[in-house]
Amino acid sequence: MTLLDVTSPGNVSVVLFFGTIGMLALTIGLIVFIIFHQRKVIRYQMKLQKMEQDQQKLLLNASIRLQEEERQRIAADLHDDAGPLLATARLYLNENLVNLDKTTQLQSIYNAKQIIDDTIQLIRNISHSLMPPTLKNFGLESAVNDLFQKISGSGSMNASSRFHDYRERLQAENELIIFRVIQELVNNILKHSNASFIHLTQNTSGNKFFIRLHHDGRGITQNDFIKLNKSNVGLGLKNIQSRLKVLHGKIFFEKDMSQTYYKVTIELVKEEEDKLQEQE
Amino acid sequence: MLVVTYLAYFAEILPISFYLIFLKRNRGEGLWVIFLYCVLSLLTEGLFVLIQQQLVFSGFIIVQFGLFSYYFYSTFRQKNFRYIALLGSAVFCVVAIANFSNERFTWIAESLTSILVIIYCILSLYEQIKDPETVFVYRNKKFWVTIALFIYFSSTLFLYLFSTTLSREQRHMYWAINNFFEILKNILFSVSFIIIKDHSTPATMEYIDN
Repeated sequence: MTLLDVTSPGNVSVVLFFGTIGMLALTIGLIVFIIFHQRKVIRYQMKLQKMEQDQQKLLLNASIRLQEEERQRIAADLHDDAGPLLATARLYLNENLVNLDKTTQLQSIYNAKQIIDDTIQLIRNISHSLMPPTLKNFGLESAVNDLFQKISGSGSMNASSRFHDYRERLQAENELIIFRVIQELVNNILKHSNASFIHLTQNTSGNKFFIRLHHDGRGITQNDFIKLNKSNVGLGLKNIQSRLKVLHGKIFFEKDMSQTYYKVTIELVKEEEDKLQEQE
Repeated sequence: MLVVTYLAYFAEILPISFYLIFLKRNRGEGLWVIFLYCVLSLLTEGLFVLIQQQLVFSGFIIVQFGLFSYYFYSTFRQKNFRYIALLGSAVFCVVAIANFSNERFTWIAESLTSILVIIYCILSLYEQIKDPETVFVYRNKKFWVTIALFIYFSSTLFLYLFSTTLSREQRHMYWAINNFFEILKNILFSVSFIIIKDHSTPATMEYIDN
């Protein structure tokens, strides 16, 4: 005897009617729920996508602004320094030079030569600031050591660096990106932290490449970094972020275990570097 | 009542026609199984008018379940769901073999088909909303096939469950429910055959209604 067999014929119509209505209501309810749930998920995805786009936009703007600032600096250097120097050299070598006496002619030529030498030196400095020759010729380790020696040499701060495992050089373009990130971080420390020392160490662990910077001044934590990255200020930090994005690298800002020093860690995956190399 | 019966019969032609008209856009996704089911359903109705034998319906129920099982088995992406479809088929085979000589076979087989297809539909819908590639679920052909079967079988489940306890007059009266949802099912199948496949992905999607 089944449940259906014991249902009295009078009740059958009621059960059938309500059963069918109930099943239909459940089915339609489920379908409506699925459609609304899916729309909700899509909206959430869109929101995430928009946030990511905004972040990308901020990074791009920061990068463009920084590029413009760099161009302005180079333009100013050329206009304010190289321009007047070359104009002065031109004055010494004007058309009247042939009418002057021999001693004055020689003096003018000597002065013009001196000015042209100064101009050559100036242009070399500009060129070096764009692409450090040490980095190009001897690699990241030498370029960083050079940079830190210069900072130490100025006497304002004690700066030291140590590369523990850098037998194989990274790709030249990637070395430049890392060097620029280090430069930006060091610049920030020099400008804002009031630190008395900076120490940089390089390590590798498995396929990961680490660069750590310690300093004893005022620094920022990861939360501050995220906030600054989302705001319209912190151009340098956005620039760091966009540069590291190219290398699929990560950066962490934190206080060290002793809570005395600030620590910045740059983490790169060596495989990513190899992939980028293969793509090129 | 008679009008609804005729409408239900002729509604079977709708999805067949639309499948053949939009043959190009209905390739893949196992839609041929649904097309085959529609053709068989139409032929069975016609054959039953001529032969008037219960065996025709019994045979159709077995083939119908086989087609739906194959459709869901081939469209499920998750292995576990495929196993459930196989298990459901095994259960159906055991029950069908055990009750084939039983005079209540049609009732048992149709009820079991309804329950199993409802389960498959729920699993299929779950899989569709979990699929990250699906942007709008209702732009998916599979979605319309699933809801057609889901609505049809859940609405007629009680009708089949109680069909043996109903008197001839009652059965005749309540059969309108089956006819009405048969029409709805065929309309939804037609929608599935008419709509164009959705190729948009969340990354390229630029808008959404609020």
